[in-house]
Amino acid sequence: MVGVLKRYKRVFLPVVILTLLLWGGSVICQVEPAVLITGVPQGLDLLRQMFPPAWSAFPELVGPALETVQIALVGTVFGALLSLIISLFAASNLNPNRKGREIARGICSAERALPDLIVVLFFVAIVGLGPFPGVMALAVSSIGMLGKLFADAIEEIDPKPLESLAAVGATKAQIIRYAVLPQVLPSLIANTLYRFDVNIRMSIFIGVVGAGGIGFELLMAMRLLEFQTALSAIITILMLILLCEKLSDALRKSILGQEVLR
Amino acid sequence: MLAVKGITKKLPDGRLLLREISFEAKKGEFIGILGESGVGKTVLLRCINGLTTPDSGEVILNEDGNPQKINGKKGQELRRIRRRIGMIFQGSILVKRLSVLENVLTGGLGRISTMRSLLYGFTDKEVQAALSALEKVGVKHLAGRRAETLSGGEMQRVAIARALFQEPCLLLADEPVANLDPKNTEVVLDYLKPLTKEMAIIAVFHAPELVSRYCTRAIAIKDGTVVYDGSPHLSSSVLEYIYGTGPAVKSA
Repeated sequence: MVGVLKRYKRVFLPVVILTLLLWGGSVICQVEPAVLITGVPQGLDLLRQMFPPAWSAFPELVGPALETVQIALVGTVFGALLSLIISLFAASNLNPNRKGREIARGICSAERALPDLIVVLFFVAIVGLGPFPGVMALAVSSIGMLGKLFADAIEEIDPKPLESLAAVGATKAQIIRYAVLPQVLPSLIANTLYRFDVNIRMSIFIGVVGAGGIGFELLMAMRLLEFQTALSAIITILMLILLCEKLSDALRKSILGQEVLR
Repeated sequence: MLAVKGITKKLPDGRLLLREISFEAKKGEFIGILGESGVGKTVLLRCINGLTTPDSGEVILNEDGNPQKINGKKGQELRRIRRRIGMIFQGSILVKRLSVLENVLTGGLGRISTMRSLLYGFTDKEVQAALSALEKVGVKHLAGRRAETLSGGEMQRVAIARALFQEPCLLLADEPVANLDPKNTEVVLDYLKPLTKEMAIIAVFHAPELVSRYCTRAIAIKDGTVVYDGSPHLSSSVLEYIYGTGPAVKSA
């Protein structure tokens, strides 16, 4: 009898607590399914107003779309370079100094913990609106992921070639150039291309908060209630993402060939 | 030319691996080092070019009357001495994703400045020298291939070409023919042997018959000390002592 009661308690109590938490949270967040249902006609109305897309707006969207791609491209390349430098200090097989390694690894984790939006706002505050803060934000927000992945890739390489170059009297920089980079290059390229895919989406998103590009055009169209132009922007964004993914896939294949990725 | 004086090396657990190892090597010599596995032959080679630091003792490289202590050196000084010592590692350690030619060229890294190797690379003259090193070991046709696509015998020959391109005065080889079939073993050693015209070679071997066929001198290590130093043609009683529990014998 006591055993049954005990088990009952163990199941019953958490269920009650969870239910209370969910209910309380829903009230605070104003979760009301009724509003969602009554809102459906409004949503349909918005979609109806969007159709057909404003064909005449497309030529004007090409420029901003290219700007978005350029922000992502330049940001990714700078980010990859920064990450490579940091990873050389973060990898235990290249940097014997434990403190230095922890600092380099710490920079990457700290960046990962920082929401990307805050990074963008920070650079907007420093250098003002436009594509430049977007590039800087993407470069910095890439190091959290790429810095760590690069460092891990470097730590996994075969250590023997490094020693064989040290034995002929090569300097550290020469060892990195001739024994480390050749071994990690496939991983560097694969991860950088993957980050480019991420950064294209980020680049659209940060356009909304002031970095220009296609994201900003979408925001403006919605604000001015030009819903047909907004749909044109959305279609452009979808095509952009698809195109860039095809592009990075093609690059991956042509550079890395049949090799196993990542 | 090379003097090893009283090298002692402790293992991390405190056990003495090498005790007071001393010997000298001259140009023209092909010294085969024998001993049971785990006796410290590889560590001894590594102590010679400073990849491992001995706990005590000295290694002195004396090229053209200018003796230089190797152990205890650091940074640029160490690199300058290492430039003169070639090393062929067990299982020939090539950078697998570089081409064969690039692998050979890495043998010259000690000679060229960091800046040049990062920005510009090697000159046409150096490339020609690397190609002729490959030609000497009969694998020039592989120059453009990636190192990872080579067979074991081919890799070992490329490793020799790299050591040739380095132009050392002393060549260390750690089981240069381990894992090679009899034919490749012969090919590789036939390429190594003539190099003694320009340098001294110290090589670790597993097979005493190879030492007696190719070397000019044998050194045997047992229980951390040199128990034999002399003619490469070891008698069966000496071999029994080195590899087993036979009674001690005098060096020839």
